[in-house]
Parts: sequence; C-alpha cells; structure tokens
Amino acid sequence: MTAAVAIDSLAKVFGGLRAVDRVSLEVALGERRALIGPNGAGKTTLFHCITGRMQPSSGSVKLFGDDITYLPEHQRTKLGMGRTFQITNVFTDLSLAENLALAIVGTDRRKWVWNRPLSAFPAVREQALAGLEAVGLKDRADDPVKLLSYGERRQLELALALNTHPKVLFLDEPCAGLSPSERQRIFKMIRALPREITLVMIEHDMDVALGLADRVTVMNRGRVMAEGTPDEVQSNPEVRDVYFGHV
Amino acid sequence: MKVRSYGVVMALIAIAAALAAPLVADPFWMTLITQIYIYGLLALSVDLLLGHAGLYSLCQASFFAVAAYTTAILQVRYGYPTIVAAPAGLIAGTLLAVLYGSAVRTRGVYFILITIALGYIIWGAVYRWASFTGGDNGITNVPPPSVAGFSIASQTAYYYFVLTVVILCAFGYRILIRSPFGLSLRGIKGSESRMQSLGYRTTMHLYAAFVISGLIASLAGVLYVYYNRFINPVAASFQISVEVSLMAIVGGSGTIVGPFIGAGVFLGLRNWVSSFFELHTAVMGAVFIATVLWAPSGIVGLVERWRPGIGKPKDQP
Repeated sequence: MTAAVAIDSLAKVFGGLRAVDRVSLEVALGERRALIGPNGAGKTTLFHCITGRMQPSSGSVKLFGDDITYLPEHQRTKLGMGRTFQITNVFTDLSLAENLALAIVGTDRRKWVWNRPLSAFPAVREQALAGLEAVGLKDRADDPVKLLSYGERRQLELALALNTHPKVLFLDEPCAGLSPSERQRIFKMIRALPREITLVMIEHDMDVALGLADRVTVMNRGRVMAEGTPDEVQSNPEVRDVYFGHV
Repeated sequence: MKVRSYGVVMALIAIAAALAAPLVADPFWMTLITQIYIYGLLALSVDLLLGHAGLYSLCQASFFAVAAYTTAILQVRYGYPTIVAAPAGLIAGTLLAVLYGSAVRTRGVYFILITIALGYIIWGAVYRWASFTGGDNGITNVPPPSVAGFSIASQTAYYYFVLTVVILCAFGYRILIRSPFGLSLRGIKGSESRMQSLGYRTTMHLYAAFVISGLIASLAGVLYVYYNRFINPVAASFQISVEVSLMAIVGGSGTIVGPFIGAGVFLGLRNWVSSFFELHTAVMGAVFIATVLWAPSGIVGLVERWRPGIGKPKDQP
C-alpha cells in the first residue's frame, strides 16, 4: 500500500547550516504521527519543505505516491494536504465566518466568482457555521477575529485547515502557548477527527504528542534520531537523553 | 439589519443630492463636482488594490492617461467617432494594466518602486514623443462625446452622464468586493501565506485585481478627457498617482464612498485654499498628516466612530 506521505532523504541547507539533514520517513494512510525534538531540531523546516512553503535543497516528497517536491503550495492543498501554522495565521480583519468561507471556497472554482456576493452562496455559510461549531466557535461566527482570545484563535487556526477538507493534515504545534485547559480542548478536537485523515503533528507537549500519536519520530540536529511507537520512543535511552533530559 | 438600512438611506440621500445638484449649483461648482466624481473613480481604482488587496500601486495615472490619450488622439487626429474612440481608450488602458500586471510578482516596497518606474515610462512617453502625443501641449480641442448623432455637449448633460457611470461603477464595485473574489483579496491582504495554504494561487488573484483596477482607472481617464476637452502629460504624472492615493486614504480606504469623499475634500480644499494661499500644497500635506495621525481609517472611519452606537464592535483590544 502506498504511504500517505513519503519523504526520501530530504535536506534543507541554509548557508552552512543543515537544518534538515537527509530525513526519510513514511507515514501510512490514516496514521497519526507525532514529530518531536528539541528546539532547532528542524521540525518546522521539515514541515515547510513538505507543505511547499520552502523548497528542499535535495530529496523528494511524495503524497499518495505522487512526487510533489516542486509543486506550489496551493496545488498541494488541492491534492488534499492541509496545514496549521505554529504562529497563529488567521485573518484578523475578517469575521470568523469569512475566515472559514475563504477555506471552503479555496479548493474549488467558487473562489473566482466576482459577480455574485458571498451571501448568494448559502451552502458556504452553512458549511462555515458547521466548521465553527466543530471547534466550538459557532456563537461568534460574525465577530471579527480581532475580538478573539489567543486560545480561540488557535481553535480557528485548526478550523481553517480542516475546512480545506484535507486527507493529510499537518499540525505545527497546535497547542503552542495555550493554558492547560485550552490544551485539553484542542487535544480533544484533534482526537475526535475522523481516522481517515492522516495526521502529522509537531508537538512539544509530551502528553499531547504521546496521547494522540500512533507512532513518534524524534528529530535532533536536523536528523531523525529514533522512530517507533510512543512506548518504544519513551524507553529509548538516547531519546531520553536529548529530549527528556537526564538528571 | 439596522446597519444595512443606514447605509442604504445614506446612499439614497447622496444620490438624490447628486441628482439635484445642477438645480442649485452654478457652473463653477458643476465643474468641480464633475471633477470630483472622475477623480473619485480613479481613487476608487487605487483603493481596490490599496484597501482590499493591500498593494500600493503608484502607476494608476498611467492607465488613466493612456485611456485619455488614446481616446483624444483617435477622436481629434483621426476623426473617429466617440463610439470607437471611447471604447478604444478603455481597451488601451486596460491592456496596459494587463502588461503592467506582472508587477504583482513583487510585494511591499518593491511593488511600490516598480509601479513608480512603470508610471514614469508612460509619463516619459507622452511627454517626449511629441509627434504623436503633442508633447507638452498635449491634445487639444477634444469634441464633446456624441453617440448616434446625440451629443452630450452641455455641462449639465455631461454631469448626469458622469454621475450615471459613477453610480453604475459603484454598484458593480460593491458586488465585486462582496464576492468570494473580493473576499479573497482581503484574505491576501491579511495573510498571503495562509491563503496559499488554503489553495489560492495568490499572485493570480492579485493580477486579476490589478487588471480590474486598471479598467476602472481607464474609465476615469475616458470620462476625464471628454470633461476636460484636452489632455497633457500632467495626467500621466507621478503626482496624480500620489494624489489619488491620498484621496482614497483621506476619505477612507476599504470603503466605496471613501475615495469620493477624499476626492471632494482634496479638490475642494485645493480650489479654496489656492485662491488665497500660495503654499496650498503645504495645507494638503498637513491634512494628510492629520488624517494619518488622528483618523487612520479616513473620514468614513471618523464618521463611523461618532455614529450613535448600533452594536458595532468598536472597542478593539
């Protein structure tokens, strides 16, 4: 069976720094993979190379068996790749419903409609409200995003990615900067996602990462250091050393 | 609903006042108001890019001037009728926007610089290519527009013509900015990287917006040449591009009435102040600085702020 995502000896070099150093990994269809590692391990750079924000220096990226290494980002989205950002990236001047509407029409031809108002598309509105309900923000559909708290913006961040209807979803620290109770909310939302969606997630919070993932990849200094089930990784002495710290 | 009816009422009052203006205003005022509509339309074209897509284009005068020159040259030098000359002007200006649209491959300050340079190309061409464009003297004696033997010669008739075109444009523009495409422009202004990850080929959206903006600017150019009855290189100048951006900002960027209000304030003040104060451009500068400092969302933003509260989220954190 073809893997959902297959990365083959991918490298990204910034000057003399090998931020990602010949990383290979495969994520199976429907799998939930956590990517962990200390700061500067190259996790986000790897994400950017996979999702098309950056071009890798070498290596290849395959999505469902198709080579997408040099495909522009917007086309990857059409192929079923979705992502969230580590630094919240939502449209603060628009309302929540408008944010979702942009995600909903982004992957079809309706995004080019210029001669009819958005309000002429009741299906989009309906879908936007459903999408907001899924992250508990339905009541605030018509508020501008600038009135939302940071935690609520993180929820919206997730909703945006979900409403492009991804088959593979890349989450870059979905719980970054959240309070423990807010983390729980996001954690539950992610866990409640349908299993058909393949998940690849960077997460610093070990409880979240290990609680959600089927398999864990540990990165350090641009390389894959270990890979396995959460239990295997946690008991790996090398991983314990660099990641969990030693006394 | 309340907010909406307020807007509709205000729009109807404005249209009624505009329709009644020729009954009370003298020719001086009629000329000024017509000019305000035309520059307002040009400012509106700037604001599609500035207020919605977040691009600061400083070559809008190019489309305006190319459309005006094309119409004037065809009509005066080659004797083509309005029915040919006016659409040709519109097409020429828009084609230039199709060409200049490649500027949207750049962003931020690079976009500003490249549009300044592109603007100077047209200014240089109309200024130096004297055998074709009339150089400094420009093209004079443009006849009033006439369609099917019916000439729009009187000032009042032309006023109503411009008003009709402007109202139709404003309605079309309103639909455009409320459409999914219009929303996509504001999305790009807010976060281009997010738009790309949502599946948008953002450069193509900006390119389309640039061409539409060029089309509106060209329309203003055609209206201008029949209003002014002559055209010279000033119409293509950098100064015009800057002034119309200031109109959009002073009036209220991101709105439809804003650019027109800005044009009114700008041209009205200039007319009034220049009659008694030589350094009138300094006054315009002061108005602009005051706007940026105390009313960053322009006169429209100022009015919105003072309007008796209708449950609008004003208190921004």
